[in-house]
Amino acid sequence: MEGFVRFFEHSAFVNVTPGHLLMILVGLIFIYLAIRYEYKPLLLVPIGFGILIGNTPFAEHAGLHLGIYEEGSVMSYLYMGVLKGIFPPLIFLGIGAMTDFSPLISNPKLMLLGAAAQLGIFLTYIGAISLGFTNPESASIGIIGGADGPTAIFLSSKLAPHLIGSIAIAAYSYMALLPLIQPPIMRLLTTKKERRIKMKPPRSVSKLEKILFPVVALLLTGFIAPGSLPLLGMLFLGNLLKESMVTKRLADTAKNSMIDMVTIILGLTIGASTQATTFLTQESLRIFILGTTAFMLSTAGGVLFAKIMNLFLSTENRINPLIGAAGVSAVPDSALVVQIEGLKADPENHLIMHAMAPNIAGVIGSAVAAGIMMSYLL
Amino acid sequence: MTAFVQILPVDLSAIGREHIGLAVIGYSVVFLSLFLLFLVFSIIPKFLTRNLRKKFHKEGGEEKAAFTGNMIQGEVSAAIATAISLYLEELHDEETAILTIKKVGKSYSPWNSKIYNVINFNRFQR
Repeated sequence: MEGFVRFFEHSAFVNVTPGHLLMILVGLIFIYLAIRYEYKPLLLVPIGFGILIGNTPFAEHAGLHLGIYEEGSVMSYLYMGVLKGIFPPLIFLGIGAMTDFSPLISNPKLMLLGAAAQLGIFLTYIGAISLGFTNPESASIGIIGGADGPTAIFLSSKLAPHLIGSIAIAAYSYMALLPLIQPPIMRLLTTKKERRIKMKPPRSVSKLEKILFPVVALLLTGFIAPGSLPLLGMLFLGNLLKESMVTKRLADTAKNSMIDMVTIILGLTIGASTQATTFLTQESLRIFILGTTAFMLSTAGGVLFAKIMNLFLSTENRINPLIGAAGVSAVPDSALVVQIEGLKADPENHLIMHAMAPNIAGVIGSAVAAGIMMSYLL
Repeated sequence: MTAFVQILPVDLSAIGREHIGLAVIGYSVVFLSLFLLFLVFSIIPKFLTRNLRKKFHKEGGEEKAAFTGNMIQGEVSAAIATAISLYLEELHDEETAILTIKKVGKSYSPWNSKIYNVINFNRFQR
């Protein structure tokens, strides 16, 4: 009888709280959005399922070693890869092996848009300070504006590990919601005439240039912001594996099996880290509000800078300011948003190739921003 | 309104010089690193085409021909790349992974009847 009582005490029915039910609902919404509308399914399905796992109620600290925050539990071991900042660089390796830097190399001035769109990171950092967050916490929240999940996780694992769950969920949710967040700002800041600007087609890029890019870019960014080396080192290594054409097997592994495995574990553990008992706080709500602001500011930064650049460019070299919005580094979602908005203004104007350039530059820019924050605040 | 202030208790006095300094320096450094990359990759293609021109001069060819050879229009490259990609990687389309065994019903016809087939031929001879 005693055993039965103990078993009952450990069951979810005794330990459930309204918070758990709310988080289970959030998890189900994530899974629904991913499957029904295909919003970032590769991320939202593992994260959503992780939320269900993390919020199935159980008796915490009863020696069962189940929770992600309980020492010795399986989930805590998997979560170690997030806490120690191991998974984000591995994801960057895969991204590097998938990414073609040609649009960026063929029109290098678009790199500046990737830098301009990091505005949200630094303004949100100041905003977070004004809301009472500490310096390292504010930097981790600000990096959400970079629209780069792995970078946000990497920086918060170093500066504010207790906020990883909220920051990662905010970053990935807003990335999935980019098609709703960005277009109003893009339309607000541009005229119809500007949205119709047709850009020159990109030139072809030689193999030598493609091989030189990861090497030169690594050395340049690494010398300026060594804090970004774990991320950018892996990104450029992945790209060199792809572009060298002699390590096809390694590139294939990096961009397929490896990134898939890491994505599953990362998504699952990030989801599970949103345990209602630690996640549902006012702090998390503030992080969500700041995250949206960061995304909006970054989008605005990219679009406005494109308009400024146009003041100095000749008519045939002018750039469509919509592509500035792709400077937030959500690859390739923000470039797709730009393509759709461009087509709405002119059904014959395909901007995706041009938008990929600031999009990729944004990845580099946000990783450099993370490196700077880290070297300042660690 | 009170609830909003509770959730977002903005205190601008918390923003110090060091915070603004970090934001300004951080943003500038991001710009600097991408600006340097922009500079380097604006120069590299010029070097490469110059070397190409020199090489072509030595071989006695026309400079213009070499130059245009390196400047294929983007649309042309995209079309070629798509064609190659389709040929090399997407020969095998994604399949539904649903296997079905379809039962084939045969209506009787003397043309496919077993009793008239080759195996039975000997029996008839006997």
